[in-house]
Amino acid sequence: MKMKPMLRYIISITLWLALAIPTFAQDNSEIANDSVVFQEKYGFRFGADISKLARSAFSESYSGFEVVADYRLSKRLYVAGELGFEEKSSETDFLVSSSKGSYFKAGVDYNLYNNWLGMENLLISGIRLGLSGFTQSVDSFTIYDTNSQTWGQIQSNGATEFSGLTATWIEFIFGIKAEIFNNIFLGFNVQLKGRLSETKPDNFENLFIPGFGRTYDSSKIGTGINYTISYLLPIYKKSKTVSKEEALDE
Amino acid sequence: MKKLSLIIGVLLFFGCEPDDICSESTSTTPRLVISFFDINDIENNKTVGGLYAIAVDNQGNEIPVSGESVSSRSEITLPLNGSQNQSRFKLYKAYDVIDGVVQGNPDEITVAYSTETVYVSRACGYKNIYTIQGFSIDSDSDLWMISYEILTNNVNNENETHVKIYH
Repeated sequence: MKMKPMLRYIISITLWLALAIPTFAQDNSEIANDSVVFQEKYGFRFGADISKLARSAFSESYSGFEVVADYRLSKRLYVAGELGFEEKSSETDFLVSSSKGSYFKAGVDYNLYNNWLGMENLLISGIRLGLSGFTQSVDSFTIYDTNSQTWGQIQSNGATEFSGLTATWIEFIFGIKAEIFNNIFLGFNVQLKGRLSETKPDNFENLFIPGFGRTYDSSKIGTGINYTISYLLPIYKKSKTVSKEEALDE
Repeated sequence: MKKLSLIIGVLLFFGCEPDDICSESTSTTPRLVISFFDINDIENNKTVGGLYAIAVDNQGNEIPVSGESVSSRSEITLPLNGSQNQSRFKLYKAYDVIDGVVQGNPDEITVAYSTETVYVSRACGYKNIYTIQGFSIDSDSDLWMISYEILTNNVNNENETHVKIYH
């Protein structure tokens, strides 16, 4: 149970480094004579989070799927969103519970990266508003009683379901998207989330919120990552002419 | 790039940290707290010499109370049976075992209660709290307990006395 998330992070970091090095280590610029004309692709990019697929395959306690999409508005700005489904069961010494539901996140991505001419990579700083609708279930529990030796431990196996739960959160995203083949992008991002609202189940709490992830006892903070593969459907191209100096600046 | 890696590293580490272990300091299912008072001076505690408690189940079998040992004191904490709506205990005064024969004066008490299961945390799950519905000192020919008083019906912690027994 504990090794799996660690393994996931290690794999993510390794892949992230593998991606990052070619993306950021471009030093062979072509300097044009007077000015340079290049075309930037504008369009609709869509894909899926493959880390959730991998986690679903390797973890018995998790299944999830997320589709991602963005649309380029201007040189640096994209509207972006994610739509997904997650189901997660968790088990501690005293409590077995599960949570499932779907979520939607919408917001913008801002490309911080100054691409070399003709390249279309992104270093993303983004923000999202997230909304989740989900169901939680207390599957079984053992009464927490440190003095249970006298009468014996009490076990409850009847599942209690809490449906119609919702939560909203704000999410800050930091990540990259690199064009590995023509119009095909690999992306990795990390997410820091702050819960804005939630409906709390009666005599229970939200332990896992689809889209938001697990909750922590003492804070409204959550974290997440995603690792996406996506396809850019180019709709139009914008030609851009920059002078030699500007090209050098970029 | 260094800064970027650091930020990501911190986020990933934060994502790993579990709080799934039920800490021993978390307040647990409370036991019933009984204090002994002087029948002649009802404001004052009165020590019961050689006090010892034994639980009695529905069939009348005696069950040792875990952590219980013979000692002179004016307060005792007793675990309630969360799967029943009442618990019985034999409270011995001047308990002793001489040559395999139990000495002392046992008085039997019965506590009736309702049970409520309340959520504690992800790690600890649920605990029970109780509401006392009735208390009695069962009659026998040689009672050392004279009367009782329920101070509070709500057994949701062990920091206060729930029942006073005068003797």
